[in-house]
Parts: sequence; C-alpha cells; structure tokens
Amino acid sequence: MEEDTLLEIKNLVVRFYTYAGIVEALDGVNLKIKPGEILGLVGETGCGKSVTSFSVLQLVPPPGAIEGGEIHFNKDGKIIDIRKLQKDTIRQIRGKDIAMVFQEPRAYLNPVYTVETQIGEALLTHRKSEFLKRAIETLEKAGKKSSFEKKVYERMLKKPSSIITKILAKFSRQKTLKEEIRKEVVNLLRSVEIADPERVAKMYPFELSGGMAQRAVIAMALSCQPVMLIADEPTTNLDVTVQAQILNLIRELRKTFKSSILYITHDLGVIAELCDRVAVMYAGNVVETADVYELFESPLHPYTKALLESIPRPGQEFKSIPGTVPSLINPPKGCRFHDRCQFEMEICSKVKPKFIEVKKDHFVACHLYGGQK
Amino acid sequence: MTSLPAYIARRLILLIFVLIGVTVLIFAITALVPIDVRAMLYVRNVQHTNPEQLTRIAEQYGLTRPLYEQYFTWLGQVLQGNLGFAKSSQQPVVQAILERWPYTFEIVIFAAPLIIFIGIYLGVQAAIHKDGIIDHATRVLSIVGWSLPSFWLGLILLSVFYGYLRWLPPGPLDPDLLNFRNTSPSFKRYTYIDLFDGLLNGRPDITLNVIKHVILPVIVIVTINVALLIRVMRSSMLEALGKPYTFAAKAKGLDDKTVIYRHARRNALIPVITLSGMLVAGLLGGLVITETVFAFGGLGQWAARAALNFDIPAVLGYAMLSAFIFVIANLIVDILYAYIDPRIRLV
Amino acid sequence: MDLSTKWKEIKVAWEPRIKEWKFMLKRMRESPLAILGLAIIIGFVIIACMAPILAPPTGPDPFILKVDKEFSVLTPQPTPPTVKHIFGTTGEQYDIYYACIWGTINAFRVGLLVVVIALIIGLILGVVAAYYGGIIDEILMRFTDIIIALPGLVLSMALVIAFPTIIPLDITTIILVISAILSITFAAFKPERKFLLPTQIVLFASLLLYIYNPIVIGLNLSRLDKVLISLAIVGWPGYARLIRGEVLRVKNEDYIEAAKASGCSDLRIIIKHILPNTIYPLLIVVTLDIGSIVLTAAALGFLGIGAEPNFADWGNIISRSREWISSPDLLVKHYHTFLIPGIFIALFVLGWNLLGDALRDVLDPMIRRR
Repeated sequence: MEEDTLLEIKNLVVRFYTYAGIVEALDGVNLKIKPGEILGLVGETGCGKSVTSFSVLQLVPPPGAIEGGEIHFNKDGKIIDIRKLQKDTIRQIRGKDIAMVFQEPRAYLNPVYTVETQIGEALLTHRKSEFLKRAIETLEKAGKKSSFEKKVYERMLKKPSSIITKILAKFSRQKTLKEEIRKEVVNLLRSVEIADPERVAKMYPFELSGGMAQRAVIAMALSCQPVMLIADEPTTNLDVTVQAQILNLIRELRKTFKSSILYITHDLGVIAELCDRVAVMYAGNVVETADVYELFESPLHPYTKALLESIPRPGQEFKSIPGTVPSLINPPKGCRFHDRCQFEMEICSKVKPKFIEVKKDHFVACHLYGGQK
Repeated sequence: MTSLPAYIARRLILLIFVLIGVTVLIFAITALVPIDVRAMLYVRNVQHTNPEQLTRIAEQYGLTRPLYEQYFTWLGQVLQGNLGFAKSSQQPVVQAILERWPYTFEIVIFAAPLIIFIGIYLGVQAAIHKDGIIDHATRVLSIVGWSLPSFWLGLILLSVFYGYLRWLPPGPLDPDLLNFRNTSPSFKRYTYIDLFDGLLNGRPDITLNVIKHVILPVIVIVTINVALLIRVMRSSMLEALGKPYTFAAKAKGLDDKTVIYRHARRNALIPVITLSGMLVAGLLGGLVITETVFAFGGLGQWAARAALNFDIPAVLGYAMLSAFIFVIANLIVDILYAYIDPRIRLV
Repeated sequence: MDLSTKWKEIKVAWEPRIKEWKFMLKRMRESPLAILGLAIIIGFVIIACMAPILAPPTGPDPFILKVDKEFSVLTPQPTPPTVKHIFGTTGEQYDIYYACIWGTINAFRVGLLVVVIALIIGLILGVVAAYYGGIIDEILMRFTDIIIALPGLVLSMALVIAFPTIIPLDITTIILVISAILSITFAAFKPERKFLLPTQIVLFASLLLYIYNPIVIGLNLSRLDKVLISLAIVGWPGYARLIRGEVLRVKNEDYIEAAKASGCSDLRIIIKHILPNTIYPLLIVVTLDIGSIVLTAAALGFLGIGAEPNFADWGNIISRSREWISSPDLLVKHYHTFLIPGIFIALFVLGWNLLGDALRDVLDPMIRRR
C-alpha cells in the first residue's frame, strides 16, 4: 500500500447465501482513500455501496460473508489487513478509528436510551482511561483527595480487569465520572451546532427531529476522534434545507477533525458539492474512480456517462439508461454492464475488464480503455 | 407529555371502566341462572322446600325485581365486602377466600418468578443461537410442555414421587405439622402464610415442609406455562437483534455481550413484560386443576369443588377475584412498560 | 367472454399465490416437527373414522359408555388391562379402550365446533370494529377486555354451572336483530345495487314475523352443549382482537387506498383485498386453539363438570382419579385409568401444537419476505 493511503480495498468479494440462491454482491471492488480526503461512493440502490462499507468494519451481516480480497488500513502508522483481524482487535477499530453514520438516524439509535447515555457509551468504550483521569483530577481539585470514589477510579485505571474492580465499579455510583462524560457529551452536541445541547442530551431518539438526530449521531461518531468516517446516505431521508445544513456541518468538521470521509450516496448533486474524489459503482463493481472535477468533465466509463446524462435538465428530454439492473444471483458474464452499454463490444460479454489507471489518478474498468492487462 | 404520572392517571381511569365491566359480566352470569335455582341458594334445607316457598323466597330476596335494580343491589353488597354464601364450604365467600389464599400464594410465589426467569433466559439463548441445538431443544420441550394436560402431569408426578417413592406427598403441609399449627398456642400466625410463619416462629422445619409440598405443583405449573414465555421472548429477541440500532451498537465497537444484553434484550423485554403480567395473573386459572390434583387446600381447589357442587356464589366470587387480580396486574405491567419504554407514555 | 379466456384470466391472477403456497408446502415438508404433527393428527383422524370398527358401538348412541356388568358385580374398583379390556376399566367398569376411541371423535367435535362458532362471532365483530373504528371499536375492545380479564378455565367453569338446562329462545327477535345488523352493515358498505333489494325484503319479512307470530322455543342443552357454548364464549374475544388488529394493519396499507381510488365498493375491498392478507395469522391461531380448547374441555371433564359421567370423553374418564389422591397405593395401582387416556389427550394436543408452531415458522418469514 502507498505511503499516503489511509484505507485500500483490493478485489473485495462478498457473497450472500440466501434461500433464493447465492448473491454475488461484491465482485472485486477496488477503493482507495487518502487521509483527510472525502471520497464519494455513488451508485444505484443495490449496487453494493453499503455492503462495501460494512466490509471495512467486518460487519457484513449473515447470510453474507467476505470471501476474497484485501482491506488494508493504516492504523497509527502500521498497515494491517482488516480481514485478518481478530474479533477483539476489530472492535477497537469500530467507533474509534473508523466510525459510521447511517441513513435514518432515529432507527439507528436505541429507542429506550437517551442521547446522553448512548454517546456516553461510545466515550466509555474507547476513551475510558481519559475520563477516569479527568474524574480523578476533578475530585482532587475539589479537595476530596482521599474519597472512596477517587480510590475506585484509580483502581479502575490500574487494574481494570480484576474481579474486585468489577464489583466495585458495579456498585459505586460514579457520580463524578458520569458528570465528566455528560460535560463532554454536551460539548460534542454543541460542536455539531445543536442549540440547547443540555436539553437535547436528555432526550430520547423519538423526540428528536430528523436533522437533530443526524447531528447527534454525527457527534457520537466523532466522539472518539476517528481518522475515518463512513457516512452511508446520511442525508437521503432529510429535507433539502436540512440536507444542506448537514453537508455544511460535515465540511466544517472535516476541517476541524481532519478525518477522511467515505460518503455513500446516490445523489450526484451531493457528490459534486462535497467530495474530493468519486468512485462509481455498478452491480457489485467499482467501474470508475477519479477526482470530482475530472469525473464530471470527462467521464470515461459508459455507465458514468449515462448517469451524468440522465440528470434531469430543464428544457431537455428525460434520458434514462435502457434495461434494468441485473440480478446478482446470476450476474451477467464478463462486464456486468455490457447488456445495457451502447458501446458494447464482443469481448465485453466474455471477459471481465480490469480496473486500471487510464489517466493520472483516473481509474476505469472498461474494455474501451484496455482493461485486458 | 412523556411524564410517567400522567400516563398512570390515564391508565387508572381505564382500569375502573374495565372493573365495572367485569362486575356487569359476573352479574350477567348470575342472571343467566333460572330464578328457582337462585332461590334454592338461600335455602338451608333443600329437601323440604316446595315451589310455593321458592316463589316466596324469590320475592323476598328481590330475585324478581328488574335486572338493573338487582345489579345495583348486588353491587352494593359486593362493595361492602359481601360476596355471598358458599354452600359447598358452608361459609361466606369472603371468609372462604381469606382462609385459603395463603396456600395459593405459596405456589404462586415460587412458580411465577421461575416461569419468568427461566422463560427469559431460555428465550434469549434460543434467539442468540438460532437454529442451533439449544434453539431446537428448547422449542420442542416447550411445545411438549404446553401440550400436556396439567392434571395428567400432576397425577403422573404424584404417582411416581408419592405413590411409588413416598417422597413428596400432596397437601400443603404434613398432617402433624398442620395440627401443630392449628392447635398450638405458641405458634403465632403473623402472616397466615406458613412459608413465612415457620421462620417467624423459629420453626424452619415448617418452612422446609411447605417447600417439600410445593415442589410438585410448582413443577407442573412451570412446565406448562413456560412455553409461552420462551416463544415470545425468542421472537421478540430475534426481532430486536435484527434492528438497525443493534447493528449501530456493533459498529460503535461494543462487545457482543453488551450489544445483546444491554441493547437488544432491553428492547426485546418490552412485549415480554406485558405477557409476564398476564401470565402470572392467569395462573389463577391453571391453579384450579393443579391444586385439586395435589389437594393443596388453596383457592383453586375450593373453586373446583364449588363448581362440582353447583355453588354459584363461590365460583363467581373466584372469577371476580381472578379478574380483579388480572386487571391490577395489567396496570402494574403497563406502568413498568412505560418506565422502560418512554415512547409509550405518549399513548 | 368465453370460458377459456376467463379460465386463463383466473389462472394468471392466482399464479403468484399458488407459487407462494407451493413454497410454503416445501418449507413445511422440510420441517420434521411439522411432519410429526401432521402425522399425529392424521393418525387420530384415522382412529376417529374407524371408530365403529375399532370399538363396536354399545347402543343407539355410541358415546354413552356401557357398564360391564360382570366386572361390576365382582369389584367396585377399576380393573387393570386384561384381554377383554385392553386398557382396563374405570371404577364404574367403563371400558377405557372404548372411551378413548370414541373420545377421539368427541375431541374433534368439541375442538372444531368451538373454533368455528368462536371464529364466526369473532370474525364479524372484529371486522366491524376495525372497519368502522371510532366509538364502535372502543366499545367492542372494552367488551373483549372484560372477557379476557377472566381466566379461560374459570370463566367456562362459571358459565357451565350457570347455564340453565332449558334456554328459552325468542327466535323471532333473534332473526329480527340479525337481519337488522345485516342491513345496516350492507348499507354502510355500499355494495352493488343488486344486493340492496334482497336485504330490504329480508328485513321487512322478519319485521312482519316479529309482530304477528312470535316464536319462542325451549332449547334443551345437554351438559356437553353447555361446555361447547361456554368455550365458544370464552374463545371469541381472542379472535375478534386478532382479526381487528390484522384488519387495522391492512386497512392502512397503500393498496387499499389504490383500490378505493379505483372505485371498488367497500364490501369488495374486504373480500378481495383485506381478507386474503389477514388470514394467515388466523390460520396459525386456529390450529393452536384446537389443542387448547380440547385441553380446557378435558380439564372441565376432569373436574366433573363436563359432559355426563357416562359420556365418552377423555377428561371424564380421568375424573375418577381424583379420589385416590390421598391414597398413594391406590394411585399407583390404578395408574391405567389416568395414564392412557392422558396420553391420548397429550398426543392429540401435541399434534395440533406442532402443526401450528410449524405454520407459524413458515408463514412468518413469508409475510415479511426478507
């Protein structure tokens, strides 16, 4: 993997074993994200965008399984293959190094816990020692140097896994620790531009509006300062005005936190506005990847071209792509787009085109540009 | 408003309506009975009554008055604590109930928690290991348990553990201990529940004896009723495990145990709690059979004998008691529900 | 339109439904529990059909048990299994084998009749409550709440002993009330014109009948009839609630809106759209209920308030066992009086429960189709 890459996915293969047959969901996906970059992943519903993002965190739900390829991640300077990680290690990455934000925030928040509790949970999972230290400091400053509570915290820091520690932790009220967490939660909510964060923190998910819930979820995702954020269609369900606010927010946060963002969407407008680079997916493959300006100015793959042409423009006729997305249980042989492609050649239905760099930093998988190498 | 007290107030009002409705239903059943049969209930000496006397008795006790008038007279009596006279046990219904409820209580206090905890535990395990051995085994065992007639299971257990082995006899207490409790002046019945009184009087052997007698009835009740709880817990848990917030919890980096127990199960328990409340309240129905088989001397057995003797006030008194307990249990469960799931407070 | 095109139309319309059913059947065949349940039920059906051969009837009413005079003279106690009485006899010298065989028919009868009656009542009331909503719904739901508040066994006990043996039935009033309900329902559902006239005629006729020639008959209820009626009364609220819940769910779906927008009458919507989609959960509950109804009936029989003592009913046979509860030796000695009939009950109920449970498994994912 190159020096300045944060995440690289090579030839990722994912299959789902269902009653109706084996679904070839991902057929060799290639993706690269640099630190601090916003990569847009665009494609129609069902093309595998979400599955790709789940694979990065080893969260592909059964009956699915990752069956091929590599996922290289640069964790604190070390390059690791996520596929080879043990369960405990991948859990440390989830929510901390790589965090996810989802489409319908209120469905992805637990309805029976307050916002405060859930964000606090994330903080406690990944930044526990930091908050224990803060709590100890606060107690010392308040003059309670030898209180029982302080001793409990110190023990939790030093011997977190001993049985006595666990019993003590369970039965102590831990007021100061909870207060520290609450303060941080309020700060986080404020940083995502939620007005009156103290009140919102105590609310339940169903009491929040869509926009507010999404901000809260973003706050939760950023709470442990991840180097990468995966956003799976976070604004699709929101009003256009709220969408614009959230996009702004994401842009601001990128500046503050300097994390990379994998932004998944089917909305080309959002891509154009937000992203640095774009990856286009079709039926389980990434067919084209380029800088955002480059992609809109000179798209190479026939699918990308057709997508851009199909954007409704006033005064012009509607242009749609003929045919339908193929079923992934029995996908077409060769290039999966061949039966809908206006440039179809004989080789397209026989050989799958390889994903190669045709121009500088502009990758395509199409026989029109070689693809046999 | 998502405040708990407001919700409770609303539920209380609804509860009163249902309670009134229950009294109407109970009264309607008494009205079903032909007038001469009802008149007979007031007669001590059944053989020596002729039809004329019956008509007089009927008029005397207001059985010929219009129904709504009878209802209010009857309701008035009920509210004063008079539920009629049980001819099968020759005592007022209320007294019969007061004498016998401790025995029923002794069974329920063991059976109910066992049903709930075993049901929740097995249901969650079956859901987590879906299609595994635990899942299938639990499923089969609980279906079989639900299919067994309670009297049959009881009789079999009794014939094995009592008839053959002489270990676990029927009845609420050994006869000599029973005698002691009834006659000895040194034994003070603080709670009237032998299970507790034994300890309070410094006679733990009495408490142990109660437990010895209660084992078989509790096994019967638990075996039969646990199936329903397991099934509901399992499907509720499966649904919770498939929800987006469970997925999000995993994506946050939480370990499996936390995801399963803190996130999924808390949501999955919600419908189970409602069911538990109804199940416990409904135990009063199943106890009729079980108490009869084990001659436990509680309310169920009393109601069974009353039914056999066509003792209508007794059976209806038992029915009304069961309904009241059911409605109140439902209220408690609803409050618990609202405490756990804040969304319901808007209803 | 000629017959062949019409037939093709029907075939095309039903094709996806048949495909689903075939998929369902395949899933059922793969489940060993379902097959076991079905096998048990079929076994009992065979026993029921072959009853006259397996256990020749004792007289004009085969359900009345005959006392074996020889044995009763000798012993007042139940006799263990012998060649003459394969399962032994009870204290009154009834042949247990005979009672079990004919008890099978009785079990089917009780289970199916009660379910059908309760279902009809529950269906009508549930659909009415769901479709009209508002105050009618509220009243009905409170009503079912009240009945459900009483445990099933207790309520049926109370009803069984309260029911008089002769019920005076005012038939003309009943006909009038039924026709009035039907007319109102029809009028509200706005059916096609052709239905309107017959309804009016029926209503008018019943009104005349009521005024000029009231008919009151005394209906004789046997003890078994009382059991049936009581169980039906206990059972209908469950169905009413279930159906109401399902109809409410379906009522708000988009395809109902579409049907209304394309001008379907309410009745047509109910029959063509609502009913087919709400029937599956009902099927599951019905299957499971047959088992629990038979259990409750057996419990009533065991308590001695079921059918007459000499009636061939599984619960009846076991009821005498109550006498030996305090005598451990007798209990063990006479085990055959409760063990074998109990096996019949347990197996019968188990069969229906297995089937119902398998149905629930198969139908659940189908409805959600993930």
